[in-house]
Amino acid sequence: MNDRATADDALIRLEGIVKEYPMGMETVRALRRVDLTVRTNEFVAVMGSSGSGKSTLLNIIGLLDVPTSGEYWLDGRNVARLSHSELARLRGRQIGFVFQTFELLPRQTALENVQLPLMYSRTRGRRQRAVEALRRVGLADRMAHRPNQMSGGERQRVAVARALVQQPSLLLADEPTGNLDTQTGGEIMQLFVDLHASGQTIVIVTHEPHVARCCGRIVRLRDGQIESDAPNETASC
Amino acid sequence: MLILPNVQNALDQLRSHKMRSVLTIVGIVIAVTSTITVVSVVQGFATYVSGFLKGMGTNAMWVWPERPPGEAGKTLGRVELDLQDLAAVQRGCSALRLVSPLIMSQSATLRFGRDELTVPVEGVSAEYHAIRNLPVGVGRPFAAMDVEGGHHVCVLGREVLRKLNLDEGLVGGTLLLDGRRFRVVGLLDEKGSFLGNSLDNIVLIPYTTALKMYPQFRRRMALAAQAASEKEVREARSQIVNLLRRRHGLNPYQPNDFQVRTQDEILEAFHAMSLVATVVLAGIVGISLLVGGVGIMNVMLVSVTERTREIGLRMAVGARRRDILAQFLTEATVLSLIGGGLGIGLGYGLSWLVSLHPKMVDITVPGWVVILGFGISAATGVVFGLIPAVKAALLNPIDALRHE
Repeated sequence: MNDRATADDALIRLEGIVKEYPMGMETVRALRRVDLTVRTNEFVAVMGSSGSGKSTLLNIIGLLDVPTSGEYWLDGRNVARLSHSELARLRGRQIGFVFQTFELLPRQTALENVQLPLMYSRTRGRRQRAVEALRRVGLADRMAHRPNQMSGGERQRVAVARALVQQPSLLLADEPTGNLDTQTGGEIMQLFVDLHASGQTIVIVTHEPHVARCCGRIVRLRDGQIESDAPNETASC
Repeated sequence: MLILPNVQNALDQLRSHKMRSVLTIVGIVIAVTSTITVVSVVQGFATYVSGFLKGMGTNAMWVWPERPPGEAGKTLGRVELDLQDLAAVQRGCSALRLVSPLIMSQSATLRFGRDELTVPVEGVSAEYHAIRNLPVGVGRPFAAMDVEGGHHVCVLGREVLRKLNLDEGLVGGTLLLDGRRFRVVGLLDEKGSFLGNSLDNIVLIPYTTALKMYPQFRRRMALAAQAASEKEVREARSQIVNLLRRRHGLNPYQPNDFQVRTQDEILEAFHAMSLVATVVLAGIVGISLLVGGVGIMNVMLVSVTERTREIGLRMAVGARRRDILAQFLTEATVLSLIGGGLGIGLGYGLSWLVSLHPKMVDITVPGWVVILGFGISAATGVVFGLIPAVKAALLNPIDALRHE
């Protein structure tokens, strides 16, 4: 087994990924031999109906879950069979997550929430870096607010800042606009577009066509397999 | 380790669940409070008792007749110490410096003018002042003449004087003791009280006079003695035992028909008592720690369930299992340490309250028991916080994030 991916600029390289869950007496096959390569600075939308396996795929890409079989190279390193602690370390440093329901700690301010990943990587100068990340998402004046003092759009911006604060090589978003109204959702998507323009690699899972329209490439899943994978020539928000 | 953020996080949790946290730590509070209070009181008594025994005289010891229990006792004839025994001990025990007989009547009637009161009377020799450390402040102690002649003279403790509402002018005057007229020749120095009993409520008379007045107490005559030095206390004891056994004609298989007690032995008896108190305390502490610990475990399990999504999020942004473990262990420990702190505060308060009782000894909370209090509460937090913390650390990040 070659431990390095081919010498291209592939950030994510999945080969024959299979994921099975035991569900009572039966085994559910959420992913059936998925091959996928994402290069640095791509902006990919993963689409599919519910149950298509798109969330499972995102969890495996985000190192929250390990595949039943298949190989996964992240930034040239085989990560399919790492220990819990190595996975946690890679998650913290290489991957930024944005969730549909924000997942901010309710009793902490925006600034403290953004510092959380830096705390677990024992990074120095946390405050300064968190301030910069919040500035980047346009929340320089909201740093001392708690989540319940902010609007949904602001909360999601805090979550994006938290995802960016480690300067991860990969930003993963799971239905990032799912809990927002159309206009606020559009603003968040614009933020992603801007981040992509500045060089960030982004993978978004969504079932909303107007979200996918912003991305440069659209991957469609159906029954745990890739149905189509095509560049979106007319990307626009 | 992320000690500071974990502690801050734990305090945040406590603040947002005040009621629940308070109820949880009640068991720990009780355990630590009772530890502090009981240890301090026992310690206070121990200090007081040893101080008191020193005040009873230096290297003092007591000998009194006592029929041994069981069959052995029945075969013995008269069990008593007589004046020949006294003379023999005075002559034959080189390790003793002073010896005095001691004849006690617990309730003699003392009358002065129209006032009448009941006082304990001790018939002793002049040496008794030195043995018991009872110096005469005003007037004089008994002279050898008084003892030999069986004179009706007495030395009074200050408490007797107070009860009679009299001052030092009484020295030289007379009073009636069980119907006999006695001249007051001296007053003892103030001794204070022990466990609420005044040590100054005492009347000393020559033992010769006491033997004449109370012939029925002749058979209960005891000896008070003082060893020549601390080192010779044991030697003095064995000299007394050997001499009295020989004099009483006891064969090697017969037990002593008398008892010898030194100050150290009395102290040991007290320590045995305080050991019982300590064992009872350990029981209380053990049960309340168990209750408190189960309470903490319960609340931490609830907390882990409530915050499953938070745990998932923390794992997603890079927390390792051991980080989550440390977070919840810290929370349990902070909870129990706050209980310990409250317990220490309450323990101080209770010790202070107890010391307000007029018959109570001085109580100080020793420093080591405060450290012990913090130690047992921290240990409870760690031990009972472990299962919830392990449960949190072993959560699967995806399941945790999906938790409703």
